[in-house]
Amino acid sequence: MGLKVPHTTNYLTEHFGDDGFVSLKGYEAQGGYEAARKALTRMQPEKLIELVKDSGLQGRGGAGFPTGLKWSFMPKDEDRPRFLVCNADESEPGSFKDRILLERGPHQLIEGILIAAWAVGAEKTFLYIRGEYSEPARVMQQAIAEAGESGYLGQGAMGTNFSHEVVLVRGGGAYICGEETGLLESLEGKKGQPRKKPPYPAEFGAFGMPTTVNNVETFCHVPHIVRRGAEWFRGIGTEKSPGTTIFGVSGHVVRPGLYELPLGTSLEQIVFGHAGGVPGGREIKGVIPGGMSMPILPAAELDVPMANESLRERQTMLGTGGIMVMDDTTCMVRVGCVIAHFFRDESCGQCTQCREGTGWMEKILNRIERGAGEEGDLEILLDVSAKMEGATICAFADAAAWPIQGLLRHFRDDFEMHLRHHRCPFHEGFRL
Amino acid sequence: MTVRITVDGAAYEVEEGRTLLQALDDLGVLMNGVEVPHYCWHPKLSIDGSCRLCQVEVEGVPKLQIACDTRVTDGMVVHTKSERVRKAREGVMELLLVNHPLDCPICDQAGECKLQDYAFEYGVQHSRSREPRRALEKRVELGPTIVLDQERCILCRRCVRFCREVPGTGELVVENRGDRSVIAAFPGAPLDNDYSMNVADICPVGALTTKDFRFKMRVWFLDELPGVCTGCSAGCNIHAGVANNRVYRYVPRRNDAVNETWICDAGRMSYREIGSASRIHHPQVRGADGRLTAAGLGDALAVAAARLRAAIEGGGAEAVAVLASPHATNEDLLALRRFLAALGAPPESAGVAVPTGASDDLLLREEKAANAFGARALGFGGADAVIERVRSGAARVLLALGHDILAPAHLRGDVSALALLDGVILLDTHRSALERIAHVVFPARHALEKLGTLTNAAGRVQRVQPVVEPAFAAWSEGEILLRLGEALALPGFEEPAAWDPHAVSKSLGEELPAFAGIDVDSVGHEGLPLRGESA
Amino acid sequence: MVKAVKPKKAAKSGAISGATRKRIAEEMQKFPQKRGALLEALHLVQEELGCIAPETARELAEIFEMRAVEVMEVVSFYNMFHAAPQGRHHVHVCTNLPCSLRGGRSLLRRLEEHLGIRAGETTPDGRITLGREECLGACAYAPMLRIGDTYHENLGVELAKKLLDSLE
Repeated sequence: MGLKVPHTTNYLTEHFGDDGFVSLKGYEAQGGYEAARKALTRMQPEKLIELVKDSGLQGRGGAGFPTGLKWSFMPKDEDRPRFLVCNADESEPGSFKDRILLERGPHQLIEGILIAAWAVGAEKTFLYIRGEYSEPARVMQQAIAEAGESGYLGQGAMGTNFSHEVVLVRGGGAYICGEETGLLESLEGKKGQPRKKPPYPAEFGAFGMPTTVNNVETFCHVPHIVRRGAEWFRGIGTEKSPGTTIFGVSGHVVRPGLYELPLGTSLEQIVFGHAGGVPGGREIKGVIPGGMSMPILPAAELDVPMANESLRERQTMLGTGGIMVMDDTTCMVRVGCVIAHFFRDESCGQCTQCREGTGWMEKILNRIERGAGEEGDLEILLDVSAKMEGATICAFADAAAWPIQGLLRHFRDDFEMHLRHHRCPFHEGFRL
Repeated sequence: MTVRITVDGAAYEVEEGRTLLQALDDLGVLMNGVEVPHYCWHPKLSIDGSCRLCQVEVEGVPKLQIACDTRVTDGMVVHTKSERVRKAREGVMELLLVNHPLDCPICDQAGECKLQDYAFEYGVQHSRSREPRRALEKRVELGPTIVLDQERCILCRRCVRFCREVPGTGELVVENRGDRSVIAAFPGAPLDNDYSMNVADICPVGALTTKDFRFKMRVWFLDELPGVCTGCSAGCNIHAGVANNRVYRYVPRRNDAVNETWICDAGRMSYREIGSASRIHHPQVRGADGRLTAAGLGDALAVAAARLRAAIEGGGAEAVAVLASPHATNEDLLALRRFLAALGAPPESAGVAVPTGASDDLLLREEKAANAFGARALGFGGADAVIERVRSGAARVLLALGHDILAPAHLRGDVSALALLDGVILLDTHRSALERIAHVVFPARHALEKLGTLTNAAGRVQRVQPVVEPAFAAWSEGEILLRLGEALALPGFEEPAAWDPHAVSKSLGEELPAFAGIDVDSVGHEGLPLRGESA
Repeated sequence: MVKAVKPKKAAKSGAISGATRKRIAEEMQKFPQKRGALLEALHLVQEELGCIAPETARELAEIFEMRAVEVMEVVSFYNMFHAAPQGRHHVHVCTNLPCSLRGGRSLLRRLEEHLGIRAGETTPDGRITLGREECLGACAYAPMLRIGDTYHENLGVELAKKLLDSLE
């Protein structure tokens, strides 16, 4: 029980082995809040946004949108109150990086929030933590209080005229609240059903006010960029995807855990070099590279650098960097059943394609796994998944469709064997 | 400001700021030349954007766009019939049918079901799904008027938005999430408002049905005939659903100048007055034994004329007290004006009593009579002066069109003041305490049994036409007055022509400037405001 | 060693206490619109009363000046809120893919057998409600379960059974 310090560390997780780092004192001892002081006292917001744009930082919540660009969408010359939202609703299966950033580096996050708030002129940040994360919420609440007592948050931060407040909000348990407009609805005390866009959050966000929503990890990179500059940041990772990220490795590996590595590190290097490969002398069958909504890659494609530009060529994406490794005993139909069940369960139910398509896919997959699959089922699966893609209010339906398409793209044989033999030909690695 | 858009090759000029569906609806071409099927969108409710059926292709935009939530821009080129659009619609339809029960043969909505219609239209009559369908509750009483079949619901949320946005009562929500979502009300707080039954009209499928109409009649046997609700003076436009010469229901007929697409529950249920058992079925005459007995029209006219003549001979026109009906048509009331003129009495000497009841800011009007405004526009005066003439003994005979004088504002149902009269002559549709003391009774037609016009509370003149033929002898008040004038040999009533509401209607404008150019034929199905009225 | 775990608070029926109302009022101050505090209020009230029953939803609706049916709607949308009473301890076993690959589902089966109930049910003595849950962010430490607020990770079946047995 308890949280494991990452196996490999870099600037984000460098001090996570130090229990003292969780406290304000410990954080300050490592140069904490110096970047915020620099930003708030010596940098104009526009310059700060330019810096983040120059750094090439991309959002780490799954979509990989350029952070500086997102900040620049906030309306200029307007006196409506504006808000920042920190998306800590980490719920993507296979992802657990935000949890450690919250638990082991709370002040790093608060510093990132403070700098971003200065850049976009936000008076308040809503830190939306998934309801199940009670320990991270407890740590964050304490850190927020400390930062307030020490003058980092609240009236006149660090002796400047800038005031900022961080409000912690506990979610109620719904994956869809990770979608930024679903989160905004939830934040307003409603069901977390995503909003139609436009209007986008920068125009009409939390409580109808201009709002920027960023992921926990995204904020955490910001103090380091401010402290060491865009060029330093661009020196890590790939040209198009700079910086590190925290990969979460789970499933059939010797050393499951968190690994902070530069973007562009090869999947092979992560799975074998860092996570120790597959236990028991078995072979790898497939790896999901970026959380459960991202299509799987077969063993032959593990040479891929873990960055969006290279993963897209393999018809998948970095997502949240949650790497799930499956060995050669794994039945990919059964994997499909688990994935489909999750998405059916978590669909908010607004859009027809998503509400009905997720359930239909799950039923077909369960039937195939039971041995009752029929000719034409795979075509229907592909057809349903195609109908769900790109046609709904939010990207949830895409996230539900892609992994099933990925399984059929690379492991069609598994499905056909079920159809031919009218039973699951695999050892029961896990029962459904 | 307007912008130009092109839809399927046809150019349109539309108002800026509208969405595509709104713009097509404004033009009157939506589902009437330009087919963009939709479930969650409704012209009078907020935009939901969730059914995803109204996807269209907009040139220059890579993804298909939902027409309900895409704003028109100048030069926008839209395709609604392309292969991509057709396939997208097919996809949505098939997914909607995955869990939809195949119980059309026993579904009340069959025949007016948008799911059935579009499924047929887009060639997806069944889903390829062979999986077991979602099992949910088939009969949930949402409130006193509405029953929900959860399995048939396609979760368009029109009913939820209706309750929030129109009556403002908000009883309904979507409970749970994903494919477990169901429409629900709070325990102990059922769907119960003055407009509740509209949810059955806007439900595109057979999920919400009214307890009143459920299982009564297959809709394809119904003729949907245009009419006007007579429940109050709002004059809500309706379709009367008629089969076998019987009205089975009213549903609202869209008229953005009057009732948009809604009708109140009380008005909707007022269809029952037409076939009510308390209709007056025969002309009746009170005999020597003091009892009312059925009589022929000629006998009734002769007795009525004799009573009137005696009164006039004794005290002139002053001796006849006249009550105009706020339920009769403008044409009937014009006939009454002429009758009074022939007696030598001004129109304002006749009074009009109007029953009243609850009102609100939406549709419900205080005056519970369809033509109260029209009766006043035709110059009739107050009812209390007429009663005063009766009480003072100046009037000896009462000629009453309708029994509204019994209303709480006037006699409060107490007819003792009328008992001393030498004669009470009643033209009425329904039985009442007034009928019980009348000397002569003529059965009148209900407004939906005759041709004519009614003027609503906002001064809008609207047409009614016979949607059913009474199964008994009944006449328009105007026709009875014509024959009564003849029996009395009143000037101008000698050898009267047959009752011709068209002709009478045409002369409304000649005698009353407010009706200039307005008659039963010119008002069309959506009505026209009286001159000087903004309605 | 596994220590006996006491329920944090026994589920009680009744009205929302003054102390909780005060906390809800404080939470409301943090938002531009008081409804922003609804989820937090649901957590606080559920911690106090065990569930958000219809009468509780009505009370909350009054506090938030909204309709009770809207409170019910929100309660029904989220996994963590319950409209009906649950067991004294709520045990959630993660059965999502990363946990399944490392025995999460087998663990759930064994615990079902051990308690004699299926996932989603409560033991007849009202002691434990057993639930299956989607990813809880403990993928590398699978199999795992959550009891109330606390995560228990890298669990063997025997250890998990002992843990459950220690619940009062």
